[in-house]
Amino acid sequence: MNEFVEECRREWRRLRVPDPVANEMAADLTADLDEAESEGGSAEDVLGNSAFDPRRFAAAWAVARGVAGPPAPDRLSGWRRPLALGLSVFLGALTIVAGLVLLSGHASSSIAVATRRIVAGPGPIGFFAPGPGGMVVPGPFGPFDVRQISHGHPIALVVLAVGLVGLGLLAALYWSPWFRRRRYERHGRAPGWN
Amino acid sequence: MASSEGRRSQLLRGVLDLCLLAVMEEGPAYGYEMTKRLRARGLSIVGEGSIYPLLGRLERDGLVETRRVASNGGPPRKYYSLSPKGARALESGVNEWHATRDAVDRALGLVEAEVAP
Repeated sequence: MNEFVEECRREWRRLRVPDPVANEMAADLTADLDEAESEGGSAEDVLGNSAFDPRRFAAAWAVARGVAGPPAPDRLSGWRRPLALGLSVFLGALTIVAGLVLLSGHASSSIAVATRRIVAGPGPIGFFAPGPGGMVVPGPFGPFDVRQISHGHPIALVVLAVGLVGLGLLAALYWSPWFRRRRYERHGRAPGWN
Repeated sequence: MASSEGRRSQLLRGVLDLCLLAVMEEGPAYGYEMTKRLRARGLSIVGEGSIYPLLGRLERDGLVETRRVASNGGPPRKYYSLSPKGARALESGVNEWHATRDAVDRALGLVEAEVAP
């Protein structure tokens, strides 16, 4: 039961509840929990289902007593919101364009399977021989050089990776507990209380 | 449709402050003591969350008065009692509850009469 009170104290410290008020709440809570325990009861007898969520309970109590503010809105504020939105749109567009470029490159390589580079050779029809490091593989319409696919658009591949990683980082930052905590600490408010 | 436990919880949430004021009418009490008085009247708060935030709100709104009373061997306990404003709020709340309960009883009574064989 003491662990519950300690968790509440941590939450009150984070919410910057004045020490005398926090000490008073902790003392009341401890006395009630001890009494319940001495009667063979549990924390649930005293706290109801709040016994399973000390942070939420502590924040609710502090807000109700008027020693902590209401929760911060669950969104970015001020200049951060348009910046995050703009960055998301930019990275999204970058990813889509890079993906399209790669897809079109792959499609043209596939077409190359069918068309190949036909040149005049010793016979009636000839093909380019593979260059250094190249490899010719058989296709349904004859052999072709695989470098047409693998060396197609390395820059597009890098841009695609950058776009995806950037979007992932943005999402992780926005939804991470760390980022939420920073936001609500900045406002001095509790998260998730309604 | 809400489960019976969910509905009970919602109904209770709307009148729990009145119930707390009502048990304080018996005499000053500290937090856990009020929980026990509610339980003795057949009202368990186990599924409803804690009464402490509600007591905090009642105190902030001036509906209850508090004082520290020394306890046997332990730290002083915080006792809550009805303030004059709280007594008026309790009276008006009980009237509202009775009016609401009667109206709901009448509505449910009609349904019961239609369903009954």
